[in-house]
Amino acid sequence: MKNLKQTIFYYLKVYEKFVSTSISVGVSFRTSFTLLLLMDLFFYFSTLLSVNFIYDHIQMIGPWDKNHLLFFISFMLGIDHLHMTLVSESFWELSHSIRTGDLDFALIKPANSVFSVFFRYFRPSTIINIFVVWTFIIYYGIQVKLEPLSWVLLPFLMFLGFFLFVVIEFNIAASMFWLKEGLGINFLRMQLQQLARWPNFIYASIARKFLTVCLPILLVGSGPIHFLYDYGKWPLILSMVAASIVFLFILKFVWRSALRHYNSASS
Amino acid sequence: MGHALKWWQTIKISWSNHTAYRMNFFLQVIGPALVFFFVKYNLWSSIYSDESVEIIKGYTLSQMIDYHVWAMIVGLLAKGHSALNLSEDIRLGRISNFLIYPFNFWEFHTASFLSFQILQTIIVSISICIFWSLGILSIPSASILMSGFLYCLFVSCFWYTLQYLTGLVGFWLEETWILRVILEILTAFLSGAIIPLELYPKWFVSILEWTPFPYLTYFPIKTFMGQNSELIASYSVVTIWIIIFCFINHIIWKRGIKLYTGAGM
Amino acid sequence: MKKTVIYSQKLEKKFTSYKKEPGLLGSLKSLFVRNYITKKAVKDFNLDIKQGEIIGLLGPNGAGKTTLMKMFTGIVVPSEGTLKILGYTPSERDRLFRKKIALVMGQKSQLWWDIPAMDSFLLLQRFYEIEESQFQKRIKTMSELLDVDDLLHIHVRKLSLGERMKMELMASLIHSPEIIFLDEPTIGLDLISQENIRNFIKEYHQKNKCTIIVTSHYMADVQALCERLVLIFDGEKTFDGPLSKFETILGKEKNVTFNFSSPQDPTLDLWSSFEAQWDSHKIQVDLRIPEDKLRSVALNIIKDFPVTEFNTEKMPIERVMKTLMKNPQIVKQLNGNNGPHELNGRN
Repeated sequence: MKNLKQTIFYYLKVYEKFVSTSISVGVSFRTSFTLLLLMDLFFYFSTLLSVNFIYDHIQMIGPWDKNHLLFFISFMLGIDHLHMTLVSESFWELSHSIRTGDLDFALIKPANSVFSVFFRYFRPSTIINIFVVWTFIIYYGIQVKLEPLSWVLLPFLMFLGFFLFVVIEFNIAASMFWLKEGLGINFLRMQLQQLARWPNFIYASIARKFLTVCLPILLVGSGPIHFLYDYGKWPLILSMVAASIVFLFILKFVWRSALRHYNSASS
Repeated sequence: MGHALKWWQTIKISWSNHTAYRMNFFLQVIGPALVFFFVKYNLWSSIYSDESVEIIKGYTLSQMIDYHVWAMIVGLLAKGHSALNLSEDIRLGRISNFLIYPFNFWEFHTASFLSFQILQTIIVSISICIFWSLGILSIPSASILMSGFLYCLFVSCFWYTLQYLTGLVGFWLEETWILRVILEILTAFLSGAIIPLELYPKWFVSILEWTPFPYLTYFPIKTFMGQNSELIASYSVVTIWIIIFCFINHIIWKRGIKLYTGAGM
Repeated sequence: MKKTVIYSQKLEKKFTSYKKEPGLLGSLKSLFVRNYITKKAVKDFNLDIKQGEIIGLLGPNGAGKTTLMKMFTGIVVPSEGTLKILGYTPSERDRLFRKKIALVMGQKSQLWWDIPAMDSFLLLQRFYEIEESQFQKRIKTMSELLDVDDLLHIHVRKLSLGERMKMELMASLIHSPEIIFLDEPTIGLDLISQENIRNFIKEYHQKNKCTIIVTSHYMADVQALCERLVLIFDGEKTFDGPLSKFETILGKEKNVTFNFSSPQDPTLDLWSSFEAQWDSHKIQVDLRIPEDKLRSVALNIIKDFPVTEFNTEKMPIERVMKTLMKNPQIVKQLNGNNGPHELNGRN
């Protein structure tokens, strides 16, 4: 028990430095800092407006009306926001550092390499957008009349969704070790995000089954939101937890063989 | 003659660069287009599955699907190219080579763009055959198809000048990818790549008509669908935009190169 | 008898890559079919290094030095053979093992480009759990030794290559590693910086009694630092022994150069017995004179000819290395004469 506490403490202390070094870098490039912020805002507004425009001409998509779907979209933007802030940059850096061999330095550090690879870069500029994202979430949450318990559960469910998604992504990102040029894998990850950004019921049955059971990215957003609208759907949350554990286990093996396969770009 | 050879050689070299990482090329260029289409296919199928919905703003389900298949084709053919290499050349100082070579920077990148377009044309032709034989795409006639292809290739030149601009900003900005993503998000939303422009509010579309965005996706799609009655106007507008951006690029390049050689970075 | 810190037996590493035919057709073809080729970067490598040694790992580009270093640090996993470092198997990447080693690569940087080096050091402090007082002490002694105390708070991208290398060294040594791997630490540096880095490594080694493995293409580095050399050619170990032995593997002769005030006759018998090499004006000659005859022969030449200048070779290893690199088969021949496997100076 004491050991676990020490380990957590160790990683927190290292992470604190990850964040502070990322902030010193981030704020020294002011134009990029601002543009990054704008980029996300454009993305949020174009996503929400597109759905709005569609609902100008129809009443329902599947079982959901406009506000139900927009709450879902806002929830997914919340996950996207966490993703952009906490891990996104590290994925891009990984493909770069595998190619250049800079990964060597991360591997010889006495910390878990999954941690030092995927949590190394923190984006200080995107954190500011948290106000925008949560304004949408709260506004549409009120529109769909969330119950008090749902409001309490909301942040935890968002974190669970985020966790499940990144664990799946870590597994996918490990394939960069075999491909050498990892840029394509990052595009693959983004495609999965794209798929997860829509509610599960729009997908035809085979695709839906595959993306719920085999590669459970549809659980990431649809799981929590269906549950928040109807507590009877608690098995969805249970399967999210189960899926997270399964993919964490898979990651253990995938990562080990990825490192075994890593032939750093030597001179 | 010697100069044409240089172009040809550059086209060949960049062709090998494009195809060297086959998996990568697929995931970076073709994959996103397919997934984007897949999502929209499912979304609209699901919307039209409601019995009360039959026609939305003049689109039946199959017309809506047609629209989105063409949107994908246009995305690949007219807006596939990215200026990543260009900005890297600037950021990593490889530009110095071009100041010495008897082959200009813009010539090198334009040749690379051309070879990319050749590759895209092949891929798109195969895709059209596949989607057509699957029965999810209707082609009005061969001449309309040709006219769509030509217009797309013309629009791709405009896209190239836009991309070129985002690359040139590399003289001042460390991370030009952010600009490219902003450009992508804005075009996807404003050009009709996400949903047909007919579904947008009237006032919104009337503003859009004054911007180049609809010409990047909406008008090329309409051309493929045989519904673009103002083809000459479409060409003229794109021509004007190309000239404007060539001019801007020229000025930006001149300023950038002054900064570059002056600071000796 | 000191304890063994690096031990390898029959160590081997294979890499696969594919061949691409040139041109458009070749590219298209490689989309579908690829001819894979396997290359052994390191083969049958046996090594035994004791605590506190400084070893020079030499070889031409692509001989396998870096691969070897990366296997030692657990970055690259060996294809076959045994490898033990400080009793650990590096590829298992034990946390304690990683706390005891350091890797410095002259061609790469572990420092963050856009922030001062000190910020990177603070991160490393967390990584290696270094106590604050220890940390401050080490920063102080190292920065004084390297003469960089006023550079710690300057953005790394603004430092010169030499200054940056010093910071890289500090970053790698901040946790007082037991074994230090230096991969071309002086590459690209000017002569003064090279010397500074060398002196630092030497002093650091004397103070801390750590084990150091260094690769370099600069023989001055090797001459100044290493007591023992390991030579690697095409993935195979071809020499392993003390520096003094390496200097003489091509023979015990000394190279001596004489300059004369006027052209001389190169056909004299005297010259031919010492493998004379004349310059085009016949006023300079290189001779190879057996060690025991050096004094008498040199005296005679100075007496009988208008000598203006003469000197013996400063760095015989440079000549030996050059000769071996031009004719790798010489090593094989020497090995053939000296023993079944390798030229081993230690036995």
